[in-house]
Formats: sequence, C-alpha cells, structure tokens
Amino acid sequence: MNQPTKLPSRSVVIVGGGLTAALVARQLTVQGVQTLVLERGTDRRDSAADRLPSQRDELRWAVHQGLMQDWSVQPYSLRHGRDEPSYPIRWMSAFLPGEGLGGAASHWNGHCWRWSRYDPVLRSHLEARYGKQAIPADMPLADWGVTYERLEPYHDLFEKLFGISGQAGNLRGRKLPGGNPFEAPRQHPYPQPPLQSLEAGLMFAEAAQRLGYHPFPQPGANSSGAYLNPDGQRLGACQYCGHCERFVCEAQAKATPELLLYPVLMKRPGFELRLRAHVLGVTYDAAARRVSGVRYVDLRDGREYEQPADVVVLGAFTMTNTRLLLLDRIGKPYDAAETSGVVGRNFCYQTCSGVELFFERRWINPFLAAGSTGTVIDDLNNDNFDHTGLGFLGGGSISTTVYNGRPIGSRLLPEGTPRWGTAWKAANARWYAHSLLLSAQGSCYPHRENFLDLDPDYTDAYGQPLLRMTFDFRDNELRMSEWVTRKMGEIAQSMLPDHMSAVEGIKPPFDTRVYQTTHVTGGTPMGTDPAHSVVSPHLQHWDAQNLFVVGASVYPHNSGYNPTGPLAALALRLGDELVDYTRRPRWLG
Amino acid sequence: MSDHPFKHSRWPASRRRDFLRQAAALAGAVALGPAETHAGDVPADATPSGTPSAPAAPAPFSGYEYFSPQEAAFVEALVNIMCPADAYTPNGVDCGLAIFFDRQLAGPFGQGKGRYLRGPWNAGPPQMGLQSPLTPAQFFSEGLRAANALSLSRHGKSFDQLEAAQAEGLLHEFESGGAASPAAVALADWFNALVYPLFVQACFADPLYGGNHDKVFWKLIGYPGLPATHALDMVQYRGKPYPGAASPKSIADFS
Repeated sequence: MNQPTKLPSRSVVIVGGGLTAALVARQLTVQGVQTLVLERGTDRRDSAADRLPSQRDELRWAVHQGLMQDWSVQPYSLRHGRDEPSYPIRWMSAFLPGEGLGGAASHWNGHCWRWSRYDPVLRSHLEARYGKQAIPADMPLADWGVTYERLEPYHDLFEKLFGISGQAGNLRGRKLPGGNPFEAPRQHPYPQPPLQSLEAGLMFAEAAQRLGYHPFPQPGANSSGAYLNPDGQRLGACQYCGHCERFVCEAQAKATPELLLYPVLMKRPGFELRLRAHVLGVTYDAAARRVSGVRYVDLRDGREYEQPADVVVLGAFTMTNTRLLLLDRIGKPYDAAETSGVVGRNFCYQTCSGVELFFERRWINPFLAAGSTGTVIDDLNNDNFDHTGLGFLGGGSISTTVYNGRPIGSRLLPEGTPRWGTAWKAANARWYAHSLLLSAQGSCYPHRENFLDLDPDYTDAYGQPLLRMTFDFRDNELRMSEWVTRKMGEIAQSMLPDHMSAVEGIKPPFDTRVYQTTHVTGGTPMGTDPAHSVVSPHLQHWDAQNLFVVGASVYPHNSGYNPTGPLAALALRLGDELVDYTRRPRWLG
Repeated sequence: MSDHPFKHSRWPASRRRDFLRQAAALAGAVALGPAETHAGDVPADATPSGTPSAPAAPAPFSGYEYFSPQEAAFVEALVNIMCPADAYTPNGVDCGLAIFFDRQLAGPFGQGKGRYLRGPWNAGPPQMGLQSPLTPAQFFSEGLRAANALSLSRHGKSFDQLEAAQAEGLLHEFESGGAASPAAVALADWFNALVYPLFVQACFADPLYGGNHDKVFWKLIGYPGLPATHALDMVQYRGKPYPGAASPKSIADFS
C-alpha cells in the first residue's frame, strides 16, 4: 500500500459509529469540542433495510445476516483451550456484531437494563457476603472503580434519550408493585410505560408468582407509545411486528443511534462523520505514552489515510476495541500461562439455556410480539439470592422469550418430531401458534483461561491477524447454568404444558453454530489496578494518556443482563469527562 | 432453537414422479417444469381433521440457473421426499423448493458471500463450523455427487431413481452420519449444515425466493406475514386465534 495520506488533525477522533460513539460525541459537541467519528459501514436510513416490504425479509436480514459484520473480511478465530489449535469461524452464528451507522445498536432487540447495584463493586460485594475464599483463584473478578450511584444520572439520561419503556421497581428506595424488586434504586421512573404483555408472559407471570417469584415486564427500547426525547427526536409507537433483533425498525419505533443521536449530531458544528472508513490501527508512541491518531482505509477509494487527533476514543464493538490495542501493542498483552499482562483478559460471554413449552389449547401467537415483550424474573440472577453452599457464583434472569414468530428461525417443535415429511408438516401446523420458549440469560464471570489475543496463523482481508478467542464455559458457569435451568424447569412444569423440552443447562464446548447471545464482554477491562486492568475507572488507557476505550470491552465480568445500559451510561460520563480533558489534558485521577 | 434432532419416522412412503423420465420426455431440455399435484399422494394417516387440502397453484418459476439436469433430478427427488404432496401442501417441486435451492446456490449465498475462505485449512471439531475451502454451491455439488455414488453402490440406481423408502433411508443415513463418504465431503455435514437448512428456508422464506410458493407453508402454520402492524391485534387477539393467519401476505403483495 502507498504511504498514507496525512489529513488535518481533529480534537477527538472516535473509532466506530455505533452507540457509544454517538453518546460520547453528544456530550462533546454540545460543549463545542470538535469530534470526528469513523465508521466502516454505511448509513442504512431510507434503504431496503428500513422500508416495507423489504424490511420484513427474514432470509435476507436474519438468516443471511444482512446487517452484520462481513465474515469474509474480518472473522474471529476460536480455540476452547490454550493447548488446542485455533480455527477461523468462517460463518459465525453464535454472536452478531453489526456493521454500519448505529453498530450493533441498530439491529438490537432493545432490552435495556441497569445492572445490579453491586455489579460495579462485585468483588467487594461477594467478599463481604461470603468471605474472600468464596471467589476462586482462577476467577479474576474486579471492582470497576466506579459506583452505580455515580452512573445513575447517566442511566437516567440514556433512558430518556432512548425513550425506554418499562415499569420501575425501585424508585429512590421505595419498592413499586409490578416492577423488579431487585432493581437498583432509580431517581426517576422509566420515561414510558411498559410494552403490552403477551399471552406467554401472562402464563409465565401467573406460574412464577405462584412459586414466590416476582415477574415484571422487560424494560426495552421498543417504544410503547409515540415519544419525543430531550433532543427533540421522535419515536413512533411499536407495532409488535416481530422484526427487531437482526433488523432495522421500519416504524422508527425502536430506539437506535442512527434514529435518535446521529441526526442531532449532524446538525452540530464541529461534528463530522466519515462512513466507509475502516480503521487499521492507532499510532502509538510508547515512550511518550501517547497516541497521535489513527490510520484507516477509505473504502470508497481504497486508499489509506492517517488521521491525527489530540484524543482517540475506541468506541467499536468489544472485539475490535481489544484487537486494535493488540495490533499496535498498546498495553501489555495478557499472558494466561504467566497470568501477566492485561490486554485481552477477562473475556466473557453469557451462559444461556432454554426450555420449550407446547400448549395444545393456548394461543401464543408468537408473531404478535416485539423484541422486548418478555416477562422476566430477576430472583435467580447474579447475587440476588444466597449462594451459600451452592458451589457457584452468579445466576440468570429468566424470561419468556417470545419476540417474534419468524417462521425460519423461531418455530418450535416438540422433541422427537420427524425433521421432514408429512408428520413434520403436521407438527408445524399443530404447534407453531401454541408454543413458547423460556430462557435463562446467565452471567459469565471471568476465568484466567478465557481471553483474547492475536491469531498467529490467520489474517483478515487487510492482511492483519485475526482476533483469537480462547474461550469455553468453565466449571462455575456450568454449575450455575445447571442450577438456574433446573429452577426454570420447575416454573415451566408448573405451567402444565402438553409437551416440554429437556431441562438442561449449557454444555461445553462453546458452539459457534448456534446463536446464543451477542453479549461478548471484556478484553479491555476497567479497574483501579493497572496490573489487572487496561483502562482506569475514567476509561483512560493506563499506557496512553490521550487514549480512551468505551463499550462492553471494559466490563471486568458479564452479568445476567443485556449489556447496553451500563455501557451507555459509561459513554455519557466519558463524554462529559472528555470535555474537561480536552481543556486540560492529564492523567485523570 | 427451532428443530430438534430426528428421533423416529412413521409415515408411509408416498409415490414420486419420475423426473428423469419426464426430463427425457422433454427431449434434452435443461429446464424441468414443475409438476402438478397428485391428490393420490396424500398418506392415509396424515389427514388432520379440519385441515383443508392445500390448493395447487402453478409454480411461478421454472428453469434452473445452477443445477445440471442430473443435479436437478436429484434435488427434485429430494424435495419431493422431504415434502411429499399430502393434505398440507403440494409436493416439494410444486412448492418451489427445488427452485429455491437452485437460486440460492446460484446466488450470493451459494457463491460464498460473507464466508471467510482463507487458509490454512484444518479439520476441526464441529463447534467451529464447516472448515471447507469450498463455496456452499461447490460443497452442494460435491456432496450430491457423493450421495449419488452411495446410492449407486447401495441400490444400483442414482438417488432420483430410488423407491421412496430407499431414498428416505439414505437421507436418514446422511443425517445421522452413518453414511460412508469422502472425508473432505462428509455427507452428515452436507446434509445437516447445508441441505437441511436450505430445505427449511425453502419452505418458510418469503415466496420472493421461489420456495414457499403461494405462501403454502405460511398458511400451513398460520404465519400472517406482512405488513405485521399488530399494535391493536396483539391486544385484541391475545390468547385467541388470529384471523389474519388464514390469508398471509408476502413481499410481492406489497410490491
């Protein structure tokens, strides 16, 4: 490739045009700080992706992953253990990073949680409750260095920006009926009432309540009504069409960055968005402990550019944030054998399991649903229950998972049904409208043998090493999943289905062929100790004063919730802190 | 999250049209026209009460873009075994399933769009997904060749010439991994990771792609399709049958 063309410098350059970039840029540009966002994909507004009738094409968007990262350009490789060879995942189904303006928050289902009050101080919390010895030596849990209370105003702001629909369960310490009693205390209720409950949710809630649990409606970004946000942007009312996850909402009723944030940014002086800009690296001066900018390929002319910056923010997907640091050796790569180094450590997934239920006489109508029309219990999640004597830490939220009736991917059939022929058709006709899935979204705590590094053998379309996952479900997660899934099975049984699938927790090895969850976290964990974290509690890289990282990559562990809420709160706070930093650059303490 | 591994089968073999003979009758024409439904193909034990016989509408597409005549004959036989004409639907060819296979393999999916196809190449555990340098279309053709070779060695006939019960038996062998096959083209992978997903997609994708002709599989299960603006429906029909499920709409209905 020719020598990169050097471009005029910018104050703040953000890698990735997704949710975190937009939130950081929102706080910066309102204070007049010049901000440039580089996004490898394009802007899909007013395209086949968000217009009827093409938007409702399950084959194009859901099966063929029309909105997702192009695996022919940049896949990941995987090995289940450090002593095994790695393989490139040639078509990934387990998790789905996005591509294009809005990132993964464009094709998300919309679930929007605040995590537990104790999540940011999880190690301290567990040590206080169970003693220091309760945390296994191979589980590097860490406090984040920030409290829920510090993030609460940013949670509130994000919920208002995205018009989140939900039922508050804990308003300033007061428990509210119908909400989540385990919720961290909130200063304000959700800006919109919850979505309608489905038949499946009513059935589940009745059974769960009978067993002493506390069901509540899933909080989500699928707008329960027409909504005007504080920036003057509008959401339409959700139509319950069942095309949320893996799709762009055609009704402008699912909150996304490209709908609510980027249009505001585009009008602000000092904001610039460059699409089809694929970032190859961050230029780093190790001696000075500073970065000077980023290098990217403009996919429209195929040429490489050098973009100088006073401040660089990595706001890409979990995997890309980690990979960029590894490619330019910014921070010491994690070494599992020596348990030294930091970049790539605390890589976590989630531990998901499900039970399918079939009711001859109940009309579930799965096609009358939306991405967040779940009914949930939080009683068995994380540390919401006493783990004494159980032999594991963590837990899972259990919910009705009836988000759509898309017939290729979401049909359920009883075990033992023939896979084709007349009997297969008969079973489809009999059960499609009469079945539902309960699922557990389980936590995944870090393990010293689960990490990210660069693959020694495989390269992407630009000749750069693939990011390699070394990951499997370890003993703690297997025991947790077995226990939580058994509890879910008890609820399922009490719903008296005519048929029910086997009640089984997750089984290793990690299977890339089956969609589980897109919630990969860690790799650039935040923390107070530079020996065990990549960024500080202010998300400032320990080894590069003017480099910041934001997103789920900074989580030291993964919880039994969707990751969006806290990373959005962290991004808003980072934006505010960067306004101050650009005026007075320094190590933030 | 949708289908589960096969456990047992109990329906009688249905009669099958002889597509090679039909092809011969077309005097060398590459294109094989869709066949009409045979009401007599409905298995005796498969008529559910209250399920009307599916209407036989002419398939909208004919003529193959990717398949050779031999491949077309194989796939037509395959989809008619997997989707026999019965009380629920016309046979697989008349549902457009063979056309769906052909168009998918001729198009971006078959040509490997979005699939990482750089070496080195090593056989890995199944959880890593297929580690084949072949595009899906190439893999489909290689597997089909191996399947036909097995059919010839086992029964002395190519797959499309088999009796229904014989073909059915072979499919179960592919599915379970019991069929001997070349290591590079494992028939279990071929069937479970390529053929079977294409079959399900052919049945349930929007008819835009050639399968699910006349929305027959959407009618079968009661999926209403487009436009799916259900804000009122989901309250009014919560827990009740949804009337719109009887007359689904597809992309073409709004184009």
